[in-house]
Amino acid sequence: MTEPTAVTSHGTIPPAADESVNSTSQSGIRAMWESWTNRVFTMREDRFFLFLAVLIGILSGLAVVCFRIAIEWTQIELLGSSISPTFPRVILAPTLAGFAVALLVIYAFPRARGSGVNQTKSAVYVSNGYIPFNTVVGKFITCALAIGSGQSLGPEDPSLQMGAGIASLIGRRLRLSQEKVRLIAPVGAAAGLAAAFNAPISAVLFVLEEVIGTWSAGVLGAIVLAAISSVVTMRAFLGAESMFRVPPFRVAKPADLLAYVALGVVGGLASLVFLKWLAYARPKMQSLPSWTQHFQPAAAGLLIGIIGIRLPQVMGAGYPIIDQAMHGQFTWKLLLILAALKILATGFSFLSGTPGGMFAPSLFIGAMLGGAVGAIEQHFFPALPGTVGTFALVGMGTFFAGFLRVPITSVFMVIEVSGNYTAILPVMISSLIAYGISRSYIKVPLFDLLARQDGLVLPSVEERREQLILTVEDAMRVDAALVLEPGDRVTEVTKRLEGKEDLLCFLRARPGEWNFIERSELQRLAADGSETHTAAELQFKGPLPFVFRDMSLEEALHWAGDWPALPVLSRADLSKLEGLVTLDDILKAFRKVPVR
Amino acid sequence: MSSSANTVAMGKKRPRIYSREAVLFGCIVFLVLFVLFTAAASRMYHKTIHVLADDWFDQGEVSFRAGDIKSALTDYRNALVYSPDNAKFQFHLAQALAAAGRGDEGRSYLLNLLSESPGSGEVNLALARIAAHKALTSDALRYYHGAIYGVWENNPIDMRWEVRRELAEYLLDHGLQQQAVPEIIALADSTPASDTEQLRIVGNLLLKAKLWTRALDVFRTLLAVNASDEAPLLGAATSAFNLGRYSAALDYFDRLPEKDRTAPGIAEMYKTTQQINEMNPFLPDLSREAKARKAATAVSLAATRLQQCATQVGQSLTATPSQTQLQKAFAESKEFTPDENWRNVAKHPEAVDEIMGHAFEMENAAAAACGEPEGADRALWLFGRSRGVSAQ
Repeated sequence: MTEPTAVTSHGTIPPAADESVNSTSQSGIRAMWESWTNRVFTMREDRFFLFLAVLIGILSGLAVVCFRIAIEWTQIELLGSSISPTFPRVILAPTLAGFAVALLVIYAFPRARGSGVNQTKSAVYVSNGYIPFNTVVGKFITCALAIGSGQSLGPEDPSLQMGAGIASLIGRRLRLSQEKVRLIAPVGAAAGLAAAFNAPISAVLFVLEEVIGTWSAGVLGAIVLAAISSVVTMRAFLGAESMFRVPPFRVAKPADLLAYVALGVVGGLASLVFLKWLAYARPKMQSLPSWTQHFQPAAAGLLIGIIGIRLPQVMGAGYPIIDQAMHGQFTWKLLLILAALKILATGFSFLSGTPGGMFAPSLFIGAMLGGAVGAIEQHFFPALPGTVGTFALVGMGTFFAGFLRVPITSVFMVIEVSGNYTAILPVMISSLIAYGISRSYIKVPLFDLLARQDGLVLPSVEERREQLILTVEDAMRVDAALVLEPGDRVTEVTKRLEGKEDLLCFLRARPGEWNFIERSELQRLAADGSETHTAAELQFKGPLPFVFRDMSLEEALHWAGDWPALPVLSRADLSKLEGLVTLDDILKAFRKVPVR
Repeated sequence: MSSSANTVAMGKKRPRIYSREAVLFGCIVFLVLFVLFTAAASRMYHKTIHVLADDWFDQGEVSFRAGDIKSALTDYRNALVYSPDNAKFQFHLAQALAAAGRGDEGRSYLLNLLSESPGSGEVNLALARIAAHKALTSDALRYYHGAIYGVWENNPIDMRWEVRRELAEYLLDHGLQQQAVPEIIALADSTPASDTEQLRIVGNLLLKAKLWTRALDVFRTLLAVNASDEAPLLGAATSAFNLGRYSAALDYFDRLPEKDRTAPGIAEMYKTTQQINEMNPFLPDLSREAKARKAATAVSLAATRLQQCATQVGQSLTATPSQTQLQKAFAESKEFTPDENWRNVAKHPEAVDEIMGHAFEMENAAAAACGEPEGADRALWLFGRSRGVSAQ
């Protein structure tokens, strides 16, 4: 945050080449380089930003590839190569690694603790896009150790933050404008998340939904480019296969979709339980004496290890286990037990402050719950289409939507991670139900809740969504204007205005050209007693900017102060006045809206 | 190039500021180095992963072959963790699951594989077996046909033959005779005459499907290779017996060892064949007297059976006019009293056909009224049917 950021104008980036160098002495390569950099740095900043997005995407993709390899290697070294680790390893690995992680976080990488999403969000809204590179290194090392040792956390959130950190560093070093430096962190975040999930669309949607919180056209192109670049890079090294292989299925009848309603309810309730627990327990854990932080991750690791003795499936990110659940490898009882224990294990890891993400565990819990609901439903209704795998897939999106409160992302994520479009309707139905249940009982989404517990007040996407957007229609007055034509006689107009003190006069010169006439001007011209004066002779103010009834009041506010009134015209006919709006009307409308 | 003026501000030491060109150059150099590093790391990683996957798979194969299905399942799953898209691993896991009686679990892997390669003979066959195990006939048929017409990497002709045989056996076992017949015929047509093992299997399937003529042809082919081979002899005897070729059947039966002829199910057939041959007046090289005697014996036997049957059902054979089949048959038989006239018959051998015809009619009428006969009557009844006297 203390690094200087040379703020440039919004135009082009000024070339910073040393002019004193004698061009004749330059080598051919150097000449080419200078010519290229000159072209790069003299391009418009928007275009340069897109160029950087690609660079950030590639670097983030590479970082995520290395991160995933590091996690796998750590896992093989610490837990062994079997999905069922042997007894001493299953206890010792998460406990000892938890202790090591705690020391690293306390003494070397203090900012590695916490949610990567919130840290990226606070970089955008609090610290002008600044994310220290030390956090990237810290996240890489501590998360690889934690997840690889079996802590119940996922690699997506750290990947997101690593991407954001890389982007932030590049933006600062290249001395972009402050606005671009602030926006570059989400670009990197999208790249990191896209590579981690192998899902570019979901990553773009998540960053827009959760990190930026708005559909900003200015940054959308860069985010998309970065996400694509990172996914392409990741696929070049780790393969292009979908994360999960779901057996094919089809929804035969619309009534079959009812089966997924129950899943939505179960997913919503489960996400509610998990959220309530985290919201309650996190402040309690944070209020413990600081020395306990040395041991909290180890204690969490020990508890997870104890669970892992009987059910090692709950350890780590759990992607192979999700794959097995999708292939109907577990009974509904075991699926329910795994879901419950994963909630416990993830809670232990998260509450202990162990660095890592909640994405993978929430997918795991959702898949297990979905599989269980599917198996139970199929037991009672054998004719039900779809397999347990289908329900597990839909369950992932359902719990994700209820827990992280990102319903749009969850739908696309399910499609992308499975490569299966057939699931879209079931996922939409159950995700919306889960989201609705979760929202009904917990008003604040997870990431906002965590931010508030940490003393940060970051803008909430959900709150923004719920904000009432006032339009001109909310403030405009109808039948409050008298429309004059250039040929109207002033005396007649004066008569029409008698007794109607509130009426304002507009002169319609031609369609789309409206002017304002003061009453005093009418009276001035009418005072000489001549019957021949027409409206065309009046002095007017205009042409007035006009507005439409669906335009936001913020837009109308731009002009309202400069003119006595603004005409509200029909979009279909610019010669038709639908009403008028004044600054006073607009302010009154704003005052009516309850303050948050 | 550098803007050193920016390095110090407000009296605090700030990080050194490099020119944008230098930063961009550094980024590109770092990118290249990072790509190289990631490529090396990824190569090592993939190598390790492949080794692990192969090791676990090999371990799974050993466990599976040793009959330790539980360990095999864990090993295959471990292999799939490191190579989740490996079709071979998925296929073997599915097979192990099916072997463990968890066909439903294996099915999802197989469906996955099938969606990727719908023409795979192996996958279709595994799915067919799971469907057959669950008696889901339409699914089983679909997948068996998928396997028959699917792609096989090794020995496609043999594999398709085996799959069709399995399908035919499944259909026969489930009483789906009509659906089994075309499969067995196709199987017989695709069996090379030189492959005695396959011919033997086909012959037995033809027997089970009661395709006697084709079965007899197959067994004859086999006997042409080895005339004393017991299984084809037995098959040929059974086929010939059911075709009504009792002379041929007796010949095959006689060539069988004693122990085969007295085996349950065979002994009765053999005895019936012998009886038919004994009462057969149409055999070549018989003297006129012998023919006449055999015809007379047959008529006498049939008449006795007719009377017993009439008593059993409470009918009078002498009622006039004849109304029932029994009465009509009795009335016709009265026209000829073989006991007194067999010598006349011997003088007129052309009458043997007519006399035997009466005997067959009587047996047929008795069988229709009182059920299938037994013993010598059964032999005579079968003999009549083989001579074209239709059952009533």
